Amino acid sequence: MDQLLDILEELKPEVDFENSEDLIDGHKLDSLTILSLISEIEDEFDISIPAVDIVPDNFNSAKKIYALIERLEEE
Amino acid sequence: MSYFSPFYLVMVPLLMAIYQLASRKARPVILLLASYMFIWFASNKLIIYILLATLGIHYFGMWLDDLEKEKKAAIKDVERSERKLIKASFKKKEWHVLIFAIVLFVIVLFAFKYVGFFVSILNDIFALTSAPVFIKYQKIIAPIGISYYTLQCIAYLSDIYLGKIQAERNLFKLALYLAFFPCIMEGPIVRATDTLGQLTNGEPLNYHNVTFGIQRMGWGLFKKYVIADRLNIPVTLIFTNYAHYHGGTLFLGMIGYTMLLYCEFSGTMDVVIGTAQIFNITLPENFRQPFFAKNVSDFWTRWHITLGAFFRDYIYYPMSLSKPLKALTKKTRAKLGNHYGPLVTGAIALFVVWFCNGLWHGAGWTYLFYGMYHFFFILSESLTEQLVVNGCEKLHINRESKPYRIFQSFKLCIFIFVGEMFFRAPTVSQGFAMLSKTLRDFTFSGKELLKLGIDKYDYGVLIILFAISMLKEKKINVRETIAAKPIVLRWSIYYAFIIAVLIFGAYGVGYLPVAPIYADF
Repeated sequence: MDQLLDILEELKPEVDFENSEDLIDGHKLDSLTILSLISEIEDEFDISIPAVDIVPDNFNSAKKIYALIERLEEE
Repeated sequence: MSYFSPFYLVMVPLLMAIYQLASRKARPVILLLASYMFIWFASNKLIIYILLATLGIHYFGMWLDDLEKEKKAAIKDVERSERKLIKASFKKKEWHVLIFAIVLFVIVLFAFKYVGFFVSILNDIFALTSAPVFIKYQKIIAPIGISYYTLQCIAYLSDIYLGKIQAERNLFKLALYLAFFPCIMEGPIVRATDTLGQLTNGEPLNYHNVTFGIQRMGWGLFKKYVIADRLNIPVTLIFTNYAHYHGGTLFLGMIGYTMLLYCEFSGTMDVVIGTAQIFNITLPENFRQPFFAKNVSDFWTRWHITLGAFFRDYIYYPMSLSKPLKALTKKTRAKLGNHYGPLVTGAIALFVVWFCNGLWHGAGWTYLFYGMYHFFFILSESLTEQLVVNGCEKLHINRESKPYRIFQSFKLCIFIFVGEMFFRAPTVSQGFAMLSKTLRDFTFSGKELLKLGIDKYDYGVLIILFAISMLKEKKINVRETIAAKPIVLRWSIYYAFIIAVLIFGAYGVGYLPVAPIYADF
């Protein structure tokens, strides 16, 4: 989780990722930032995020992003 | 035919009566018949295209679903390594079915909307190269709503391919999803997950949804008759005779047209969403106070939301996450770093999105320019974001403070006004001529402004619009607040509003009603 928070904070230092539950719905992460984020996560965690998983529900909070990473690591 | 026509305003109450009297099972059938009747009156024999599109998505959807079922049966009790191969083989088949279906839908759309434009480009090339060729082309009328339901078909089939939804086997349900009359002409572009389940519920009308739906329609009528139609006269005058006006007046023309477009389109959406609410159907919102956005990118998450979401979900992400572009991102990240590296891939996908967005609005150079204009500003914002963040930190500027937010909205509005001017101008060169005159000769002439036919009431109604948008931005629900007031006060507000539409609405001789702009896209 800390690894993920480091990535997120480096991309958008002004956002409180530990407490935000509306990263997408609250328009805190735009589409280009999502692209950077996906690219970083894929490298860092050695997973591949398919387009089907790029839905607001998977990216609205750091916890949800981490849950997605864990799920893809298991698959 | 429009959602403001007397036909529509008579059709809705009649339909409400028939719907309420019918049995629960018959209600969805009535909605479908009403939808087809509406399309028939608007488009006549061209109704055949939406019928064919319905059969098309039904057939291709089931094909994709059957392949998925076959795959599941094939991988049962099979070794893991072999399972992977079987999955890949079926995915390939499903991909071919999806692409074949999308190409078919796009060809039909292309034939109706874009052939004329591309033929004219070819003729221009032939003329430039003195080739003795000229292709004759006669403009054909496109079926009503083809730009909207084609995108819905693509979204529906892509969602099945991606495994987000299962194919709907009931042809009747799909027919209603595609043809539902409130959104057939101007959207919103609805996903199967938005409405497919709700449309066939057949719930009886209820007091809350009927009153709120009618209020929402009333707000749409206000925007259209009191604001958009009033603004149409000065805007048409300015854009037609731009050479005779000073830069200040041209600038007001840009603002006027943007407000006109916003009120016409968002007013139509109010009527559309209000109508659907009467029949207990919640449609997705298409606008969210766009002029309060922080930047151009944010603006597009608030203006024509469902179109932006379509391009994001079905072009931007699938493209930028495709194997070749992912490999490119990896390379560019290694060379340019974490911020600028992914921007290269993002820029490629963004270019395609804005090219398609421009072209979707119409077959013409002004629309393509409009798309590229937004591409340029969104990309520039991403490229300079880090610089702005660092600059603000050094200068101790709080980017969330009110003055900074006002500065952001002001800057955004200038970009948007200029963009909409190019959108409205008949040619790109006229757009540049207007922009150049605005910048060179930015003076206001009282005489000119008086001759445009705008009076103090027009400014008054714009203030009402601004005040209500401001309340919405602050998450204050105006309608819920009014509904909670005592009955006398509540109805006084409603009557005052109805009288305002009747008195200040732009009707009769001397007024030029705005044609439904987005119905032509």
